[in-house]
Amino acid sequence: MDDEPTLTQRLRQQGISRRSFLKYCAGLASMMALPPALAPKIAEALERARRPAVIWLSFQECTACTESLTRSFSPTIENLIFNVISLDYHHTLQAASGTHAEEARRQSMAQNKGRYILVVDGSIPVRDGGVYSTIAGISNLDMLRETAADAAAIVSVGTCASYGGLPHARPNPTGAVPVSEILPERTIVHVPGCPPIPVVISGVIAHVLTFGKLPELDDIGRPKMFYGQTIHDRCYRRPFYDRNLFAESFDDEGARQGWCLYKLGCKGPTTRNACATEKWNQGTSFPIQSGHPCLGCSEPDFWDAGSFYQALTAPPVDVSKWVAPAVATGVVAGAAIGLANRLRRAKAARARQPLTADDVKTED
Amino acid sequence: MSVSLQNGLTAMAAQIDAPVASFFNSCVHCGMCAGACPFYVETGDPRYTPIHKLEPLRRIWKREYTFWGRLLARFGFLPAPDDDDLAGWQPLLYDSCTLCGRCSLVCPVGNDITYMIRKAREGMVAAGHAPAGLKTATYRALTTGSPMGVKYPAMHKMIAALEKSEGIEVPFDRQGAEYLLVLSSNEYMLYSESIAALARIFHQAGVSWTLSSEAYEATNAGIQIGSSDLAKELLMRIVDAAEKLGVKAVISPECGHAYTALRWEGPNLIGRPYRFKVVHVLELLDELQQEGRLRLAGKTAEKLTFHDPCQLVRRGGILDQPRRLLNLSAEDFEEMACAGNWNWCCGGGGGVSANPDADDLRRKAFALKKHQFDETGARKVVTACANCRTVLEDGIDDYDMDLDVIGMAELLAENLATANEDKPT
Repeated sequence: MDDEPTLTQRLRQQGISRRSFLKYCAGLASMMALPPALAPKIAEALERARRPAVIWLSFQECTACTESLTRSFSPTIENLIFNVISLDYHHTLQAASGTHAEEARRQSMAQNKGRYILVVDGSIPVRDGGVYSTIAGISNLDMLRETAADAAAIVSVGTCASYGGLPHARPNPTGAVPVSEILPERTIVHVPGCPPIPVVISGVIAHVLTFGKLPELDDIGRPKMFYGQTIHDRCYRRPFYDRNLFAESFDDEGARQGWCLYKLGCKGPTTRNACATEKWNQGTSFPIQSGHPCLGCSEPDFWDAGSFYQALTAPPVDVSKWVAPAVATGVVAGAAIGLANRLRRAKAARARQPLTADDVKTED
Repeated sequence: MSVSLQNGLTAMAAQIDAPVASFFNSCVHCGMCAGACPFYVETGDPRYTPIHKLEPLRRIWKREYTFWGRLLARFGFLPAPDDDDLAGWQPLLYDSCTLCGRCSLVCPVGNDITYMIRKAREGMVAAGHAPAGLKTATYRALTTGSPMGVKYPAMHKMIAALEKSEGIEVPFDRQGAEYLLVLSSNEYMLYSESIAALARIFHQAGVSWTLSSEAYEATNAGIQIGSSDLAKELLMRIVDAAEKLGVKAVISPECGHAYTALRWEGPNLIGRPYRFKVVHVLELLDELQQEGRLRLAGKTAEKLTFHDPCQLVRRGGILDQPRRLLNLSAEDFEEMACAGNWNWCCGGGGGVSANPDADDLRRKAFALKKHQFDETGARKVVTACANCRTVLEDGIDDYDMDLDVIGMAELLAENLATANEDKPT
């Protein structure tokens, strides 16, 4: 492998200067809340990194996660980071197909046993034996179990692989589940988002390559460095929220003034992601900046949390149908219980023996 | 004899009305009532947390009136309080509660804890778990006419002596008088100067008033011990006398719980509206002053402060009247911290001063009052309750303080204008 070009050489071949690479490393360091002094360390580690084998399995997904990484403003360093790894199997990107493709996966698994990184995007259908999604005649469920057995680390990219995503949404006809439910015994890094921010995907890979271990995760498996804060906490429209200035429709004065989108259903307050700071398309914008409320796409079950356009504090389901019967039932039950208790109390009042002076007579 | 555990529990069950049920339901166990109770504040003993004092009542509410409580009780998991339980709670419901109402005021969900303590006592006395001192006082009130055992002839003699020494006529049983004044036994036993002061003020203001030979006692030990039956019997003496004399109004004297009994509990106890009005003497004095009938000249120079009786201010709403009168009759009147609605109790209300079991605790709780008084640097405390007055004097002795206590009527009488002084020029 010594004759392989280093990352810097590869980048230069692509017209990316070392200066740009160092800038990327510094940006990554700040995003990961590392001291700036660590930026050169990251650069050094990435340059020296051996090419770890990566097997990328795509299950019930829409390819947007791959698109996010590869189709971002090109040519990007995120994209080229891929060059530091040996992507041995990826449906969308590989040239091989059919038996050759599966052959490549098995070969890589055998050669890099216990050392390769498994990246998964898409959820896994388990209903009816997992027949709803197969690749080369192998169900997603079997392929995941087989490939995960000897993987050094597993990364779930996108909300589908992390929490089930769209396929998992009600009524979930295929019985889709996230990777963590198939492999409950494994620590899985979740990089949710629909799709995730490119720099977050590459940042996790860079972290593994730089430090040789998984980043610190929160209670639902997300790297704290990227998912530590809510969109709302870092949103540039937050001052409007604090001053009670809200857009009430997409075409009112508030919307034109760029006021807070909370009342239009923004899920920013309950969504942890880096969109508000990293933004999309090379830092150009993010949904809220373009006037659309956050959907909360990096949170579990965001599809089932009611309308995207209903404010967080509004009830997620239509209560108008059953609120009247519920109130009526409550009133009737309350009146009945109240009446019963009233009768019990009247009974006690009748049973009580009144007191007389003799009842409080003492010795002295 | 109707006293028995069963009768006590039945009486408690009969006391639990919709407010009590909603109070127990809405208690959020925040413990804020603890910090409002002088007994908790001075001892730090969590048993004195006001809502905790209601445990027997709460258990009966649960057993009798809640679904889960009734289910548990049916399978023996929620036993009714027994005699030992009630004996254990007697010091909490009587010795350490003056019904001062501070806890009710502080409760963030608006639970009237005082109202519930009053109700819990109904069961305690019916179960025979009331303190001996209070029982004796109640028995005496029922059998002699006064909780101190003073019969009418003795009381009449005292008033006659007062008439002689002061040279003022004190009318008895005067048919058609406008006001019937009822007194507290503390006043005619210990503070006859207070009665003399009132007589002088009424004389100046030309108030048509009378005392009654049938209703000379305003206090109501039945309210304090917590028996509506006995309270009603005592109250009816006043109601009957007032209606027989045909007075326009009955004057509740400088006494806290007498006002609660007569003004707030009374019509509910007897089950019908009165055919007369009830005024507190402070309300009447304030009214007389505003009408120009009570005329003051000069002010007391000594530094004064005012102790609000709980039943008058917190439970009775008489807040502004004493302040108006004090500002007119005192040069140097300074309020205590927490004055008015938040005033700390003297420690002897709600029957505590008639209950020797509570003496030590009451003395401990008085530290709060001492601190309040010391902060003002006042030389004299004015109050409007003869019971507060005895308790304050007791505490002042115990803590060796240099402080006098007087009643409001006395302060006004001290500064009453003579016939010549008050002519408008």
